[in-house]
Amino acid sequence: MTDLPHVDLAELNADKEENIRQRREFIRKYVEWLKKTPNAVWSAQQNRMLSKPKAKA
Amino acid sequence: MEFTFEKGRIRFDRELSELDVFVRKFVDALDACGIRYVVISGYVPILFGRSRETEDVDLFIERTSQEKFTELWNRLSADFECINAANASEAFAEYLSNDTALRFAYSGSFIPNMEVKFPKRDLDRYTLDNRVEVILNGRSLFISTLELQIAYKLFLGSEKDLEDALYLWLLFKEHLDVETLKRHAVQLNVSEKLRDLK
Repeated sequence: MTDLPHVDLAELNADKEENIRQRREFIRKYVEWLKKTPNAVWSAQQNRMLSKPKAKA
Repeated sequence: MEFTFEKGRIRFDRELSELDVFVRKFVDALDACGIRYVVISGYVPILFGRSRETEDVDLFIERTSQEKFTELWNRLSADFECINAANASEAFAEYLSNDTALRFAYSGSFIPNMEVKFPKRDLDRYTLDNRVEVILNGRSLFISTLELQIAYKLFLGSEKDLEDALYLWLLFKEHLDVETLKRHAVQLNVSEKLRDLK
């Protein structure tokens, strides 16, 4: 049986919290940008993201 | 972002996505049948530009007669099919009337789908009765108040929901009724999370 890798839960949890912090920081930046960007520009970007081709499972 | 925000109404224009067109077609059928509805949850932040996808669009429809629901079912059949009920009478009697959601997708598809429920709780009825009109490219769509949407997202509490709440707060904070938002937060026991948003 293959040995499982060592897991440091404290380190993983710290990484998870940091990832959450970074995602929220992204949302703050995104809203700042959105507020000063014409609707035609941000909605075209959002539309490209929503309509992007999906990878096959 | 250019929009006008009045009490009970938000007006803006933008490019529509396939998801927007999907929702539009569904609510057109509701409008044609004269059935009041309110869109809640994940589609609301997406409507206002949030950069994420969703599998389903949740909405409450007012409690209607079976006859009126059958009219809706027949109208929807042009573009949609119900994923979890075979016919209108089963959908009405065994799903909606038992407070179980119906899911409608484009014929032959599973996602995205519209998750349709009758209001069950007082909070659901409040959501429908206090809906906000969004006029997107000249067409009306009704959503939950943003104050309730933010508090409820905080209550749901997944990381995605917390991000949605943060997004709506940051985007609309200058226009929100903060006292009402605080009252919703107290009711839903999320006052601390609301303070964290700020």
